[in-house]
Amino acid sequence: MISEALAAEVARGTLTTVAVSVAGIAFGMVLGLVLALLRGPGYLVLTQAIAIYISVIRATPVVTLALLIFFGLPALGLAVGPFVAGVLTLTINTSAFQAEIWRAQLNDFPRGQREAAYAFGMTDFLAFRRIVFPQVWRAASPALVNEMTLLLKGSPAVAVIGVVDLTRVAVRMSSVTYEPLKPFLMATVIYIAIVMTLIAAQRTIENRLVRKYGTL
Amino acid sequence: MRFQIIIDEWPALAAGFGTTIWICAVSGVMSLLLALPVAALLMARRPLIVWPMRAIIDGLRAIPFLMLVFLFYYCLPVFGLRFSSWTCGLVSLIIYNTAYFAEILRGAWAHLPREQEEAGRAFGFYGFALTRRIILPQILISAGPVLGNQMITLIKNSAFLMVITIPELTFTANQLQAIYFTPLETMLVAVLLYWLLCSAVEGMVRVMDRVSMVRGHE
Amino acid sequence: MNNCGRFTNLKGILKASLVISAMVVAANIAMAGALDDIKKRGYMVVATEDNYPPFEFIQDGKPAGLDHELYELLKQWAPFEVRQQILPWQGLLAGVATGQFDVALSAGSITDQRAQQLDFTMPTAEATYYYVKRKGDERIKSIKDLSGLPFGTQQGSAMQQRLPEVEALLQKLGGKLGRVSFYVSYPDAFQDLAFGRVDYVIANVVPISDLIRKRPGEFELGEAVASVTYHAWAVKKGNKDLRDFLDQFLGEQRKNGTMAKLQEKWLGKSFPDLPWVPMLPGNRPMPD
Repeated sequence: MISEALAAEVARGTLTTVAVSVAGIAFGMVLGLVLALLRGPGYLVLTQAIAIYISVIRATPVVTLALLIFFGLPALGLAVGPFVAGVLTLTINTSAFQAEIWRAQLNDFPRGQREAAYAFGMTDFLAFRRIVFPQVWRAASPALVNEMTLLLKGSPAVAVIGVVDLTRVAVRMSSVTYEPLKPFLMATVIYIAIVMTLIAAQRTIENRLVRKYGTL
Repeated sequence: MRFQIIIDEWPALAAGFGTTIWICAVSGVMSLLLALPVAALLMARRPLIVWPMRAIIDGLRAIPFLMLVFLFYYCLPVFGLRFSSWTCGLVSLIIYNTAYFAEILRGAWAHLPREQEEAGRAFGFYGFALTRRIILPQILISAGPVLGNQMITLIKNSAFLMVITIPELTFTANQLQAIYFTPLETMLVAVLLYWLLCSAVEGMVRVMDRVSMVRGHE
Repeated sequence: MNNCGRFTNLKGILKASLVISAMVVAANIAMAGALDDIKKRGYMVVATEDNYPPFEFIQDGKPAGLDHELYELLKQWAPFEVRQQILPWQGLLAGVATGQFDVALSAGSITDQRAQQLDFTMPTAEATYYYVKRKGDERIKSIKDLSGLPFGTQQGSAMQQRLPEVEALLQKLGGKLGRVSFYVSYPDAFQDLAFGRVDYVIANVVPISDLIRKRPGEFELGEAVASVTYHAWAVKKGNKDLRDFLDQFLGEQRKNGTMAKLQEKWLGKSFPDLPWVPMLPGNRPMPD
């Protein structure tokens, strides 16, 4: 029913989609956290610059960002391959939203705990590593998983710069065989499966955290 | 950097920008209008109504927008339903955002204190009038910022339509850079224009917020 | 209680991510230049389109087509490494013009406008623009029947820039140009032609012939709508030594018969009478 060639192509596309999304999520989360931390009190210029960055990136479609990074940056001397450009696009795109998520949680964090940590002689960094971050991470996890699914749903944008992700595989198989139903339905099912997996994983994590710590 | 091309070709860019604004405005309004009855269906008491609606909404929210566009564009013709790229683009944008708007409205509705509805009924409102004059204004205002955010997502999703040849802003910018070899300049201008558009939407949401505070909401 | 330090290596993770990112980016930065720069650098970067059968396309996950076979031969022939980037057409020539790639090893066609920013090699095939229609569409019997009908072509293609020529042609015959849709790649346009969203597609004669060979019952070749033009490889304007280097390679393939063989294999016929220098549309000489 499903030819071997089609199955192989779809598998390749799925792998690419997952790879570029995972890389984007991983780097984006780190970048977002760094941006949220740097945005704290202190360096006014840095805070303003980050605020502008976040505002612009949150307003930019992923497709446009991909074209800018892959076609535009080389004019500045920074040329990368399509896959790296795709990862970079997703990273930058999600970092702006991640920064807001982290910032909200960091702001909400009770001052009392931080002050208690300092009273115990912890340095800024130690307090962050052992007290602040673990709790903020837990509280932010629903929003973070939501952002992950949003990134996955934005990942087909990398097809316009030549990355052969799942969506592009479906388009290509359709335009070669003139039979669009099989490839597109396969791709749709796979996307839904991945999203459902992420949501289920998030619910499991949430339940386990609530059970262990009493609260998120 | 050759910005002269941008200046020479500004009519084309303006046309692309205008197309984006037009598509987003039309889709936004239609989605919001359609989301109201869908949200009402989601709040219905009969499971037979809620479950299929729920399945459709969740399904739509689990796939990438571009996939929905392609399903309309490439798969429907197999069943004899061959729509133009404009129709496919608009319809997919409307349907996709109706799902999200409906979910947002349903959330706001569920959070509405029961007292409001009961007080309304006590005053003799029921059915459609109850919804229109008591419930709707409140959920629209309380969900304002979230709806505004979804509007911004809609604007960003509209860029995907370039793939099915709709001449919106990103399509136009990409076309110019392919012809004139000015990728950085054209894409930067496109990013700037999207930023202006989204900032305008955010500004409107803030105005709405202030109006709602005047009217006594949190 | 001992889970507070779950992310004990946060700093390490951050550092590692930054280092890895820098390495990946550095490994991919390739700045193009003339032949001497390439020889000094040790490698040349060529760019090829990802979806332009029969010249360059992806089949079962692997690159295939006339330009890809030529690329393989070039890799062996060149005294340095040759790296290839595969991407959509819309980024290709711009990438060469801005220095991201050394060579557009692709079937782009020569136009007056492109000749201002690029230098072309000798032609690899004829690129004359024809229209293709659905087989059995009796409305279109000649060029003047195209008046008013919706059609498609590729975004960023030479035809997009030469549309005024087609418009003038139709107006001379008493008609007018219909609505145009610009597709990311020609296969997309051909598929929409099959669906009926456009009534004809203007493309180069070679991909149209390839399409008709693959799907004989569905499409039919029309007539030429613009003056004769050629496919050729391109380098940034001024890199004449690089262009001559490529011409040397292409010339050899033509003399030893390889080019004719590859053309027969991929394009369906050989082009033995191609010019030995690049020519502007209409067989006009380059303004050098």
